[in-house]
Amino acid sequence: MHRGDVSLEEEVTKRETLIRGGLSYHDVTEAVCKMPETPFLKSPKGWLIGFTISASLMVMFFLSIVYLIWEGIGIWGNSSPVFWAWDIVNFVFWVGIGHAGTLISAILYLFRQKWRTSINRYAEAMTIFAVICALIFPGIHVGRIWVVYYFFPLPNQMDMWPNFRSPLLWDMFAVGTYFIVSLHFWYVGLIPDLATLRDRVKSKTAKMWYGLFSLGWRGSMRHWLHYERAYLLLAALSTPLVLSVHSVVSFDFAIAQLPGWHTTIFPPYFVAGAVFSGFAMVQTLMLPARKWLGLKDIVTIKHIENMNKIILVTGSMVGYAYGIEFFMAWYSGNEYESFTFINRAFGPYAWAYWTMVSCNVLTPQLFWFKRLRTSITASFILAIFVNIGMWFERFVIIVTSLNRDFLPSSWHYFSPRIWEPIFLLGSFGLFFTLFLLFVRYLPVIAMAEVKGIMPHGDDHHA
Amino acid sequence: MKMLTLLIVAAAGFGFWVLGFSSDPTRSMYGYLFGFVSALTIPLGCMFFVLIQHLTRAGWSVLTRRVAEFGMAVVPIFAVLFIPIVVFGHDLFPWSHTGHLDETLIKKAPYLNMSFFVIRAVIYFAIWTGIGVWFYRKSVEQDLGGRFELTKTMGKVGTFSIILLALSTSFASFDWLMSLQPHWYSTVFGVYFFAGCFLAGLAFMSLMLMRSTVPVTAEHYQDLGKLLFGFTMFWAYIGFSQFMIYWYANIPEETEFYLHRLEHGWSPVSYALIVTNFFIPFFLIMSRHAKRNKSVFAAGCIWIMLAHFVDIYWLVMPTSGAHHWQDYLVFDVAVLIGFVALFLAAVAWVMKGISMVPKGDPRLPESIAFENY
Repeated sequence: MHRGDVSLEEEVTKRETLIRGGLSYHDVTEAVCKMPETPFLKSPKGWLIGFTISASLMVMFFLSIVYLIWEGIGIWGNSSPVFWAWDIVNFVFWVGIGHAGTLISAILYLFRQKWRTSINRYAEAMTIFAVICALIFPGIHVGRIWVVYYFFPLPNQMDMWPNFRSPLLWDMFAVGTYFIVSLHFWYVGLIPDLATLRDRVKSKTAKMWYGLFSLGWRGSMRHWLHYERAYLLLAALSTPLVLSVHSVVSFDFAIAQLPGWHTTIFPPYFVAGAVFSGFAMVQTLMLPARKWLGLKDIVTIKHIENMNKIILVTGSMVGYAYGIEFFMAWYSGNEYESFTFINRAFGPYAWAYWTMVSCNVLTPQLFWFKRLRTSITASFILAIFVNIGMWFERFVIIVTSLNRDFLPSSWHYFSPRIWEPIFLLGSFGLFFTLFLLFVRYLPVIAMAEVKGIMPHGDDHHA
Repeated sequence: MKMLTLLIVAAAGFGFWVLGFSSDPTRSMYGYLFGFVSALTIPLGCMFFVLIQHLTRAGWSVLTRRVAEFGMAVVPIFAVLFIPIVVFGHDLFPWSHTGHLDETLIKKAPYLNMSFFVIRAVIYFAIWTGIGVWFYRKSVEQDLGGRFELTKTMGKVGTFSIILLALSTSFASFDWLMSLQPHWYSTVFGVYFFAGCFLAGLAFMSLMLMRSTVPVTAEHYQDLGKLLFGFTMFWAYIGFSQFMIYWYANIPEETEFYLHRLEHGWSPVSYALIVTNFFIPFFLIMSRHAKRNKSVFAAGCIWIMLAHFVDIYWLVMPTSGAHHWQDYLVFDVAVLIGFVALFLAAVAWVMKGISMVPKGDPRLPESIAFENY
């Protein structure tokens, strides 16, 4: 879409107004609070339909987990030598999705990217829900679920400790820390907006809940000072977390001696891939939501274009990593290394490999074209491709490296059973259920922050 | 410093190095490679900085950009300085000993051979000269005023330039540093080298700005300091990841890199790097006050620059296999001084008669008025 109202001089000297449509502070509040203030019985039909579907999928997910615990992980197709398959693919996929939220709320904050204010709340919520989905998979993929508390280093009379040199334990700490810090960050950001809702809602119960969670916020100068300080500190703490979490997840693979897993570029490459997939998911959810919630003037084409640029940058980094890995597999002179990569590209899973390459390397390159990165339809379609590609990336890494291991007699083509797709779909159900509840009851835009970047907030505004 | 002084220093540095060269050419060539790569990382870092500013349409950094442009515009001199490395390549790179190669190196020969090595170097220098000189010229052209479309053009050319720059820098680090131990490989090596380049570029820019007349304020230093701080962590993160992954899997052909750096007196250097290149700069420039205080920040930049040179030394020198590498340390330092002085002399030459500020840049007012919040 061409924004014809911008001249060359204006484009290079001025910063584009981020909030369009001449909205006033009050208009922003009204637009954002409309949904949380709608009584439940008057919920929009679309929301009800969406919620019914996703909640059903979520219930299916939980029932499948019960069945899994009852029957054992034999219901999946995992078998020697592919002991890790969709369970860990889904885990890594969901952890990755979460990264966009933290990048937007922490790193873009430190980089003073004001446009983040229109999308950070949304993306942070997505982070938390994605991490919830992610944490379920390692929890249920263990064979003996009744001793799953062994994950935690709990003092006990048997002196039994988890292996501190095991990356699975590091995962627990890394993802756990990430979840706790992200949750705090999200909640601290929510406080002023919850207070706004508390002051506006009519229903007594709603007032009680919003009041409880807004922690007595009155918007005084002192409150704001503390708030800003807390926000900066949380941003500074979250920034290394963006890198550490997925780096630790990559260690699950990289520290093993398996060709295809064991390579030093994994930590930064996983981080780039995580941000890449996270932004694609933000686009996937944001594009329909801004339409249905009437937020087109707050989340504008400019925001969409910026997110697409990040998808392009991180997608190119992922492409760089694919290329370097391939080159180094040859350069190493190690026949096992080169075999793994040739097997990936031309072996039995070539279809998955080329799906991954086309979705993750070729798709984002289309965003070089301004016409495409400012088109809503193109952004949506390409974001879906990236989502698919990033799921396949984890599949390719995990399954293709395992299925032809060092012992040719044990080579085995892994195929999922009916249960794997059910678990994946079910996790989407959980994700969307949480997300729809968020959209319904909480302010989806950080109102206070958006107001801070509107022209009225600027001293120089005429 | 005046250009002439710098040239004299450079001549002295190289002259002293020649003394070492006359007694042990092979050992001295490692020193030459060290000095060459160390100095080259500065213009490469500047190049990354300038391209990123154009691509992100940054406003805050306009005042600081010209010094980086001077730094990158002189990159062609390194193409000339590379010639001795080609001539004495046989002393440096074990893969060049055709006829005495083991099975693995024969497999690698299609990539690791002298002619392809030279062709690649020519390509790298062509890319760097193209980027360095073109962006410098366009920026100077804009000084004449009013040419806003140049900002857009530089943004557009920046797109594919940064891809070429990223690839060429990575492969140059594979060729000139990684292949010194030709059996060893690491996919993240290019990223590690990039982190070092960026640190060198930022430290150079900050120090140049302090000595210049550019009206930068504590706000700009704070921002440059934030980047230095962030990339100090990034360097440590990449270095740690590489070490961690190789240490844990403990595969001999991969741990070889670290084993070389734990013998012949290298282990103190290896352990010291963690402190000198991470902990000290981390605490030195973490505080907002440190970044805004010119003297403290200058100390931080000088420290980071020197620590970065030690890092490059640590990458190059253990591969020489010399048991008493310390004996030639003084020549290594001399040749480094020679390279840096020559680089600075070239910068001084380029600077002549050119504005220290991109005064035609449409975002200059934004940069002048810039404040952290």
